[in-house]
Amino acid sequence: MTHARRNRFDRRTLLKGAAASTVGMLAAPMVARSENKSIKIGMSTILSGRVAQLGTSSRNAVMMEVDKINAGGGLAGRQIEMVIRDSKGQPQEAARLSRELVNSDGCEILIDAEASSGAFAVHEVARDLGMLTVHTNSETSSLSADPKLRLPNTFRICRQGVHDCIVGGAYAAKVAKTKNLTKWMTTSPDYAYGRDTTAEYMSYVKYFNPDVEVVGEAWPKLFQPDYTEVLTKILQTKPQALYSCLWGGDVTAFIDQGNIYALFGQVETFAVNMADYTALTAVKNLPKGIHSGNRYIKTFPNTPENAAWADAYRAKYNEYPTNWAWENATAVHFIAAAAKKANSTDGAKLAEVMKGLTIASPFGADGNVTLRAEDQTLVGYAIGWGMTIPSEPYVVDMTAGDWKQIFELEGEWKKKKNYA
Amino acid sequence: MDLATLATCLSSSACIVTQTTGALIIGMLLFLVAAGLTLIFGVLKVVNFTHGSFYMLGAYFALSIFQHTGSYTLTILGAGVATAIVGLIFERLFISRVYGQNVLMQLLVCYGFVLIFDDLVKIIWGVEFKSMGMPPAFQVPPLFIGGGVVPPFYLFVVGVALVIGLVLWLVIERTRLGKTVRAAAFNPSMVSALGINTGYLYGLVFALGGLLAGFAGALAAPVRSLTPGMGFSILIESFIVTVIGGMGSIVGAFVAALAIGLIRSFGSLGFPLFTDGLMYLFMALVLIARPTGLFGREIV
Amino acid sequence: MTRRSLAFDVVIGAAVFVVLALVPLVFPSKALIDFVIRFSAYALFATSLNFLVGYGGMVSFGHGMFFGLGAYAFALLMQRTGMPIPAAFAITLVICAALGVVIGAICVRLKEIYFAFLTLAFQMLLYSLIILWVPLTGGDQGLRGGIPRPPFLGINLANQTHLYLVSCTLMIIGMILMHHLLQTPFGYTLRMIRDNAARANFLGIAVFRVRLLAFVMAGIFAGAGGVIMSLFVSGAYPEFAYWTISGEGIFIIMLGGLSTFLGPAVGTVILLVLNDFVTRHTEYYGLTLGIIILVFALGLRRGLLDVLVDLWDRRTALSAAGAKAGNVSKASL
Repeated sequence: MTHARRNRFDRRTLLKGAAASTVGMLAAPMVARSENKSIKIGMSTILSGRVAQLGTSSRNAVMMEVDKINAGGGLAGRQIEMVIRDSKGQPQEAARLSRELVNSDGCEILIDAEASSGAFAVHEVARDLGMLTVHTNSETSSLSADPKLRLPNTFRICRQGVHDCIVGGAYAAKVAKTKNLTKWMTTSPDYAYGRDTTAEYMSYVKYFNPDVEVVGEAWPKLFQPDYTEVLTKILQTKPQALYSCLWGGDVTAFIDQGNIYALFGQVETFAVNMADYTALTAVKNLPKGIHSGNRYIKTFPNTPENAAWADAYRAKYNEYPTNWAWENATAVHFIAAAAKKANSTDGAKLAEVMKGLTIASPFGADGNVTLRAEDQTLVGYAIGWGMTIPSEPYVVDMTAGDWKQIFELEGEWKKKKNYA
Repeated sequence: MDLATLATCLSSSACIVTQTTGALIIGMLLFLVAAGLTLIFGVLKVVNFTHGSFYMLGAYFALSIFQHTGSYTLTILGAGVATAIVGLIFERLFISRVYGQNVLMQLLVCYGFVLIFDDLVKIIWGVEFKSMGMPPAFQVPPLFIGGGVVPPFYLFVVGVALVIGLVLWLVIERTRLGKTVRAAAFNPSMVSALGINTGYLYGLVFALGGLLAGFAGALAAPVRSLTPGMGFSILIESFIVTVIGGMGSIVGAFVAALAIGLIRSFGSLGFPLFTDGLMYLFMALVLIARPTGLFGREIV
Repeated sequence: MTRRSLAFDVVIGAAVFVVLALVPLVFPSKALIDFVIRFSAYALFATSLNFLVGYGGMVSFGHGMFFGLGAYAFALLMQRTGMPIPAAFAITLVICAALGVVIGAICVRLKEIYFAFLTLAFQMLLYSLIILWVPLTGGDQGLRGGIPRPPFLGINLANQTHLYLVSCTLMIIGMILMHHLLQTPFGYTLRMIRDNAARANFLGIAVFRVRLLAFVMAGIFAGAGGVIMSLFVSGAYPEFAYWTISGEGIFIIMLGGLSTFLGPAVGTVILLVLNDFVTRHTEYYGLTLGIIILVFALGLRRGLLDVLVDLWDRRTALSAAGAKAGNVSKASL
């Protein structure tokens, strides 16, 4: 039930804007809004281009949750009206759209479902306009970890690179010890996410297992269609284990191409982004025994709540939920919980309440997730690694990450980066 | 920069075999796409910016045909023919209206269609990336030739591409039709005055371009992730190939495509972070030394 | 159009500024303010591109490199040094000019499509450099954290209204300067080279030098556009240096018309309005934009302003002297 409001640039809108702004200009900086029946929540995301699926699944998840909330009475009594826009993945569009959503469309809360550079662009708008902004989808740790970027009104509700790497590193180190895998190679997309994630992951593997050595690296371009030169390089280097954070269409193409070189029989492969239904269902010949972390898997956490959510999503949209889907759903859960707790929809009050808030969640490692107060980012979500099989449930033998360990190592990581 | 790896490779015959096979597969697919592009430019003086979309359509047609018939042979032929038809319609209905106009106007028409095709694909096949899967005939272990690893599927693709290239060259250089096409490139009004319907000829050239791109799409589909917009990267690379090889020269496209294949294959060993940059650098160098490309003729 | 004096241009420019300054008071829509700021950035960029394409006959596919360079240079200077904004602005323009000289010297010799591709190659090289040099440029995530905007001369660019007024000023000054340059002997020499480079050469004109100068000038104004954009987003992103910006520039001047000075400005309005309107109502932006492009390219076949100017000329020609039978003169520049 996407309700894209038609805000054509016509005389009526201009006159309305003139009238409203006259009042507003005399009032306080935050335009006081009367207690309307509905509250507009804006969402800037990517609905076209290569990564369109990011936007469509984010939107699907948000709408599913918003419908449930509206059916239950809305946000502190106000019905939610979503205003969703497509930035096409351009950061200047993301900036412009978020400004417009707040300034012209009257959105009081913003869900930023952009990826990397778009998220940072929206962050600056959040700094300028001060509305409650929730970043979903952007996994760059610095978005929340860097104190220079911290704002009282922005939260990040999605998984974070450094958390994933700590868990992944620990898991891989154990496997490496058991199977004596000392020579490793990495193949990751050449951009910030690929580089940072790979570096952190390998550093944690080596931390848990100092015998591990990286003997080669390949850095294909993001969305590069042809991995032949990468695969031949791997075959030349003959590592015992391979790490890759290729994702989406890239990881499936890589697996397809790797298969014809019979790569996966020779190298133990750790592909963090494999365990996502879109990748799992797209690959026609999924090799057995690829290690992967969960992006979103219905059976991890293996709880009825998680399964129910996945089934509901599948029934409504005739597709599997993605990593982006659960993250955006959680964002809406937090907003709803905060509104209930504060009994208000005022952005500043919600932000106050959200700091440190813990809610029950089907995606929580122990049934709960928390928005950590000190850096306003999501913690406590389920992270785990397991092995892939070519049919449902697709990933088995999941080992869950230990959040105590994550917190400890994350603290050290922050100190090293001068974020603490 | 990692010259040590590059040096080790160049001293190992196994590595050379593997890397060269890789270079061939990259180069041959590029050649199929670039050949159509350079042909269209040579005869029609049109820079066909839509060519990447033809490749994309070829891949998606291949996906659908393979899903319905399970025969890879049918898939390749069907995808080629279907894309040829698209090329023909495109030329007759749209490109023919902008001949002789400002090249920017032609570019604009092509760009408009790139956008339209991308969204049409999104509407018809969906926005998620798709995988065709390897035809069962090729789900075999790789061969070991001279110590190097050579997947049979890639041998097949290179073989087919070489055959297509040879047939194309023969048609253009040795047949009467080819002579007419070359004549039309050189002097269209004279050809027309001789009673040959240049309109049909131009349509044929575009259809041929579409056929080649469609074949390329179908040949690549088993090892690619299909997504709307996938035509773009091969378009840029094929442009680079046609510019380096010389606009209008099929031989030039062949040589340039192989060169690019080798640069990527060996370059990624020695310069893993700058492989794309190497390609652009090579193009810049060729253009500075020979502004019309390696085998190109002066544009009037 | 007859030659206009600089003074006349300045008067027009001042009048336009007054109108633009009053607009936010009459229509206090923040979206409109943002629109005009973006318009200023893109109009400068597109008009500078037409300087090369329409007036110089040099089709550049890599003009976006100056837009991107302008944005990054300015943002970096502000982030790293916090120097006064006018100083950073001036240094940015110098940097763009320097790049223009170096790259122009190599490219400007080439003809037509090869010039186009070589400029594109250089733009993509610059883009690769931006992506690679992570410690300096932030890589593919761009320059994050915002750029400091210390107030100067009582102007605080963190205030959107001030940014609006400064952008309008920069745009108007840039347009006046470009228009004036085109009315000087240099401008007419450029047109002569566009129309017949061989003849100009035989007349003893240093074709290379004139073309190089045009390339550099165009680069400077494009860089100014980039500065406005970086102020708008408070940062700089690699997308600003990607070939799509150059593509948008070409598209804009095709939409608005190459034969008139204000054509690109008209084209910018059309593109921005289209962009804003279409993304609001459909997620099939590509399909919609593609169809509109076809309407322009196959239907109108020229930019909008070209069409309007031709219609106007036809009317005045017909009504001026009935004796001149059916001779429609094209608007001479």
